Amino acid sequence: MLKIEFGSQGIVVVEGRLDAAQAATAQAFLDGVSGSVVLDCSALEYLSSAGLGVLLKTQKRLKVASGGLRLTGVNRHVHDIFRYAGFDQIFDIAPAP
Amino acid sequence: MTLTRAFPPRFDALADLVAFTAAAFEQKGIDRSLLTVADFALEELFTNVVKYGHTDAAVHVELRAIPGGFEACLTADGVADFDVTRAPALDTHLPLEQRQPGGLGLQLTRQMVDSIEYDYQDTQRRSRVTFRKTLV
Repeated sequence: MLKIEFGSQGIVVVEGRLDAAQAATAQAFLDGVSGSVVLDCSALEYLSSAGLGVLLKTQKRLKVASGGLRLTGVNRHVHDIFRYAGFDQIFDIAPAP
Repeated sequence: MTLTRAFPPRFDALADLVAFTAAAFEQKGIDRSLLTVADFALEELFTNVVKYGHTDAAVHVELRAIPGGFEACLTADGVADFDVTRAPALDTHLPLEQRQPGGLGLQLTRQMVDSIEYDYQDTQRRSRVTFRKTLV
């Protein structure tokens, strides 16, 4: 399951699994954000290519308007996926401590 | 011994597929650090069938332990011949403005597993993908 919502200070918190079954839910939420957005991934357990697509689409839209997504608390699995996909070059990523 | 289960070719079957894989890892004593690779590869291969297979036939997933890791096999009937091991690779170094969503799943799967093989039987229009991953 996936949970995505606003946390404190406007940070977007995502929890659970961002897979093909949950991509539409995440996309619908992220379509509503604007500007420079912090996405707290501390509780994001799993990301598939469907999730990458959601994040890429959002990043492209925000960057056009001089905003962007910053990902924090990224676990090893998610970071590996980002690196394989070359997304570490197009996203600002802070790994989990 | 191999564990096998059939899944309807629908996105909402993914949760059951994840549960099956976790249970198989537990039952077979496979190192859990390999579970995300299994989940990722199975999801990408399974959703490829859902999106492009145009079949109502159940997709069969087999999983077994091998020394140091696991072997998984996904079989789909009534699908076209599409060799997932030869799907075109995308340029992952393109700048953001030239990136388009989609097309990365099979490429990343090939990168993450140790080996992947594809077989197709014309008579049953059956595709079979087998992959393995072990601890290095």
